[in-house]
Amino acid sequence: MMQLAPHLLNGLTLGLLFALIALGFMLIVGVMEVINLAHGSLFALGAYFALAIIGADAVAGTTFGDWWLSLPLTLRFVLATAVAPVLAGLVGMILELCLRPTYGKAPLYGLLLTFGAALVMEELIRLGWGTGEQNLPVPQAINGAMLIGGLIFSKYKLFAALFASLAILVVWLFLEKTPYGAIIKAGAHDSEMVRALGYDLSKLRLLVFGFGAGLAGLAGVTMVPIWGLRPHVGVDVVIPAFLIIVLGGVGSFWGAVIAAILVGLSIGITGAYASAWSIMSIYILLIVVVGFRARGLFGKKSALEN
Amino acid sequence: MTKSALTRRQLFKTSILAGATGAFMGPWTHNRVYAASSDKPIKIGITSDASGQYANSGASDRRGMAMAIAEFNEKGGVLGRKIESVHIDTETTPATGSRVAERMITREEAGFLVGAVSSGVANAISQVAQKYGVIYCNTNSSSPTESGKNCHRVKFVWDGNGTNFAMAAVKNAVEKFGNNWMLLTNDYVWGHNTAAATRKLLEQYGGSVSEEILVPQGTRDFSSALLKIQQGKPDVVAAAIGGDDQKSMRQQVAQLGMGSSPAWINNQQDWPDVYGLPLENLFGVFGTTWYYKLDLPGVTEFVQRYQAMYPETNMRVPGNVFYNGYMATRNLLAAIERAGTTNNIAVIKQLEGHKMPAAERMQHHDAYIDPVTHQVQQSIYLATKNAKPADDDDMFEILNNSAPGDVMDAGAQDECKLESYDDTPTFDA
Repeated sequence: MMQLAPHLLNGLTLGLLFALIALGFMLIVGVMEVINLAHGSLFALGAYFALAIIGADAVAGTTFGDWWLSLPLTLRFVLATAVAPVLAGLVGMILELCLRPTYGKAPLYGLLLTFGAALVMEELIRLGWGTGEQNLPVPQAINGAMLIGGLIFSKYKLFAALFASLAILVVWLFLEKTPYGAIIKAGAHDSEMVRALGYDLSKLRLLVFGFGAGLAGLAGVTMVPIWGLRPHVGVDVVIPAFLIIVLGGVGSFWGAVIAAILVGLSIGITGAYASAWSIMSIYILLIVVVGFRARGLFGKKSALEN
Repeated sequence: MTKSALTRRQLFKTSILAGATGAFMGPWTHNRVYAASSDKPIKIGITSDASGQYANSGASDRRGMAMAIAEFNEKGGVLGRKIESVHIDTETTPATGSRVAERMITREEAGFLVGAVSSGVANAISQVAQKYGVIYCNTNSSSPTESGKNCHRVKFVWDGNGTNFAMAAVKNAVEKFGNNWMLLTNDYVWGHNTAAATRKLLEQYGGSVSEEILVPQGTRDFSSALLKIQQGKPDVVAAAIGGDDQKSMRQQVAQLGMGSSPAWINNQQDWPDVYGLPLENLFGVFGTTWYYKLDLPGVTEFVQRYQAMYPETNMRVPGNVFYNGYMATRNLLAAIERAGTTNNIAVIKQLEGHKMPAAERMQHHDAYIDPVTHQVQQSIYLATKNAKPADDDDMFEILNNSAPGDVMDAGAQDECKLESYDDTPTFDA
């Protein structure tokens, strides 16, 4: 058990980070029924925006740029964490405007459009920041290692897991306790009724897509100090995010969170005992769960099942 | 009486059709001759990754090939023919590699194929290349099997392989750091073969492997593996992790401050995988075939040519991947020139056993193409992070160099069984 405990802790932190990755994806699928294949590129874009903000790329060499770089890294990192997801959200909104002609058509149109958008964004990143590996610096206070039970853990990873927990809580409070959240949920449940009640459905979709994209950007800023940053880093995100929402049940907030934690634990535990199976284990988990419960862990029962 | 399924008229028509096709196409071994003519450009198919795990290295590889092609074209081409190239993304996926090779040969009419970083992709491409007799230069994939059991008459391997690098590193590391090792291995062909080579040498030098941790390709979180390493307390970790996986691993090892204890041996370190990263990510000892600050004649001029040709690229100096892409293409074109023909068998014979002086290759020792395995036997360098870099690009400190004879992969010579010339389709490109 003593050998397993650190792996369980590792799996739990990894799960919380996966939950953060899946959150924006879940929101867009749940509310808009669009499988956003550009989720990974928005994730990458958020991280690159943060890199540009921290390093003052656009104003390098100017007086403002020099002043900006003289500010403590902690301050620049905090600002980047706040601003980069907003910028990713704006890109998401532009993508939503492009998606509008596909509404009401076969889901394939939306899939193809978001897939194309992912390719375009990845190429834009290559053009803007180059093809090579980049490093998103993190403040000294949350960098480095710490000892837990005689083993070294990454301070940043534990910080990121706590931050992910906080983000999950804030998103949940927003959806459950604010009138905006109620409208979003109502839009997911019955969009025609929401429109009939006088709400602007187009605006709602725009905001939801922007919010989901912003969450993808936030996940990017949080994850790349662990994964590293490269133009195609988002490719590593879409499949786990998709798997998590299917596992948790499409449209279920806590289903996605619990599924993400299960995925993290699955990777953590197999990593300890059968490392070659660590990635395969999450697919086996999906097969087992969906095999017994086709709508996922917390998915709502379909009318056809009654 | 049953009626015959094939009437006399049908038989006659079929014979005419077959005869006409045969007269036009000829027997297979010559049927691509019609495509070649003296004024037609020589076409090189570039089979490198532009997406997936090795996208960045693939780009560097392509730049090397393009510079060699540009240099030959400036001189008027080869045999009076211009050199053209066509690139299709192999996506770091073996199945795509096969498909791309097939298309390059049959539809793009590429006479030669160049490029690879992933050993799985290189193996897939070379099987197709051998089927058509098209010479294939595997520029940068370094699994020992590429010049061992997966060798082919048409394939030439330009990078050092896992065994070469392990031979350069293992003995020293056992003596210096200890004999209790753990292996951290990417779970695919290159990782397995490199780990097997390390294990064999380790046992030879009195060390032992306490555990091998297999890491699936595409792993981004190495925490489980790093916890196991801490629990196992080895003297040395020998890592055979490549591409993006390696970048993530380096990032996480550096974050945990585990780069100096235990000692790390990273079989080979491709330059594009670490270029621009903080120096603390560059822990341990690793192998390479070339460095842009080698104090040898020609190196400075080579770097200047690179910078003149690629002023916009973020990678300000060339690395080993670019170097291998350049050297492979340059030597292939030089072999065509020496052969005086684009006939594939004639060019293969020019490449087999070809000697390359150290000065020409900008390395410390003369190199040659092993006629038995088709792998370039060359200088192997061990390096570590440069504690006193002269500038931002000066990331490596070269620790030593080994002559080809000292790091030769004898196992590959035993395992490689090249197809005969007669069994290799012949054509003029």
